[in-house]
Amino acid sequence: MKAHGRCWKFGDNIPTDQIVRSDRALGSMEEMRAHVLENLNPAFPLEVKPGDILVAGRHFGQSSGRAIAPKALQATGLGAVVVESAARLFYRNCFEIGLPLVVCPGITAEVEQGDVLAVDVESGAVTVERSGAMLTGERTDPFLLDMLRAGGIIPLAGKLAGEETA
Amino acid sequence: MNLVEKILAKASGRSQVTAGEIVVADVDCLLLHDLSGYLTSRVFEKEVRKPMRYPDRVVMVFDHHFSPPTEAQAQVLEENRAFARRHGIHLFDCGSGNIHHVGVRNGFVRPGTVVVGSDSHTPVHGTLGCFAAGLGNNSHAGMVMPFGKAWFRVPETTRIELTGQHEKGVTPRDAALWLTGQIGEGGAEYRALHFAGPYIEELEVWDRWLFPLITIDVGAKCGFIDPDDKTREFVSRFTAEPFEVMRSDSAAEASETRTYDISELEPQVAASPTLGNVHPVGELAGSDIQWAELGGHGGGRIEDIRQAAAILRGRKIADGVKFNVVPSSRQVFAQACEEGLVAELFAAGCTWFPPSTGSNQAINMGAMAATEAMVSTHARNFPGRNGSAQARMYLGSASTVAASAVRGKLTDPREFLA
Repeated sequence: MKAHGRCWKFGDNIPTDQIVRSDRALGSMEEMRAHVLENLNPAFPLEVKPGDILVAGRHFGQSSGRAIAPKALQATGLGAVVVESAARLFYRNCFEIGLPLVVCPGITAEVEQGDVLAVDVESGAVTVERSGAMLTGERTDPFLLDMLRAGGIIPLAGKLAGEETA
Repeated sequence: MNLVEKILAKASGRSQVTAGEIVVADVDCLLLHDLSGYLTSRVFEKEVRKPMRYPDRVVMVFDHHFSPPTEAQAQVLEENRAFARRHGIHLFDCGSGNIHHVGVRNGFVRPGTVVVGSDSHTPVHGTLGCFAAGLGNNSHAGMVMPFGKAWFRVPETTRIELTGQHEKGVTPRDAALWLTGQIGEGGAEYRALHFAGPYIEELEVWDRWLFPLITIDVGAKCGFIDPDDKTREFVSRFTAEPFEVMRSDSAAEASETRTYDISELEPQVAASPTLGNVHPVGELAGSDIQWAELGGHGGGRIEDIRQAAAILRGRKIADGVKFNVVPSSRQVFAQACEEGLVAELFAAGCTWFPPSTGSNQAINMGAMAATEAMVSTHARNFPGRNGSAQARMYLGSASTVAASAVRGKLTDPREFLA
């Protein structure tokens, strides 16, 4: 499972409230997508293209655990999210909705806004095309990789619960 | 094994589990509020389309709305009510109180059980010796509702050993805020935090509550306190259902121990933009506030209302300050009536709001303009959570909130308690 695309870079400790504002939580996904991360970079919701890669710092997606934050990111067509570290609810939600996330310590020092990155979700390897830098992120657990391949937890749940044979 | 390992082993039908393993465990209680419950119900009915396996284990509490301010929000609540009726789950309507307090006070949270919820502060139930974690909508709709189960990676445990006693005017909330700053946002990612030590053992249960409450915001998966006689007596007040009190085998079960002495602690405030931005109140004293509030997941307890009353008794809040008092449950409001605190706080200039989660995320109340600031007992202070992204939110103890309301600026409560 691989992603290749242009990078959008964000900082540390970004809460889900800044990804999708709480007062938009009851709106449509189109509305959430149209405003996603706009407080931190107004150009992002307007210019992000399918296949682009979001890079962020430590503890990305902290605060409220609503899956609408990763769902709004997924709705932009992002190929992958690459972070120094992720808040655990956000991390869990990404895999449960089928959005690839790679934890890659050191990533923010190596990439600039607009760099083109190649991401291997399985091994965690990230390559920066401009500099040729190769980073070794964390390998994705096979359990979570299966979840991504299935398209999230919903198609897998019966099998996990021991009640259906996939 | 420690407490969460024992609970996860039992709930997944194993004799033993170890950190790092993925287990599928039976879920005893799913807590949903009006906002997360709505998002979850849409996924459950539109994408999952299976029957609700154990409706008796699912509890929805309308706590972000005590009265819907718009037609769209009224419609959300109506759809939630219809969802609750269709599937036979428990519903606590507007005015019941904060989701976590309602869950505890109605006996849904019992030691030794697995508690999950969409609210990210669900780990607070580790206070009662549960394994409690916040999960996402797709976990709840996809697995908990149709199968009564959830998957978990067994967390590594950090033991947080707390010792010492604080002086008058310093409260357990100050200790919890300070600890948030010490551990740091993301300072305990994916871990279980075992709160222990003489300081924790001495506290009453509603004060212990403030410690597992911080776990999500330091990045941990869950937090817990080994249950003792206080826990047993506390839970027995709210339920006649039997429960199994499990405890960690020994301190050696934690992979790491961090020890903190809170004896020298001063009253603390977490200032915008993040929870890790914790300072002694003295450092920020003099910052103007227009709003004060007792409320939220950890606030609006009878303990908070009493603390505020001790400062407000015989005093008035400053001109220009609005002081919202939001009881965490109907029982707390009744208790405050009985103790004469409703009249006392009203006389001081406070406004009582219905039992709810108050200004949390400003769904129903608590929006601010760019120039405004609030001091509150809430759990979060991120920009944009209460109206303008420029508005400031200071988090502190009920004593600090009350002292600041009297002066109209952040104030060390010890000035009033000498």
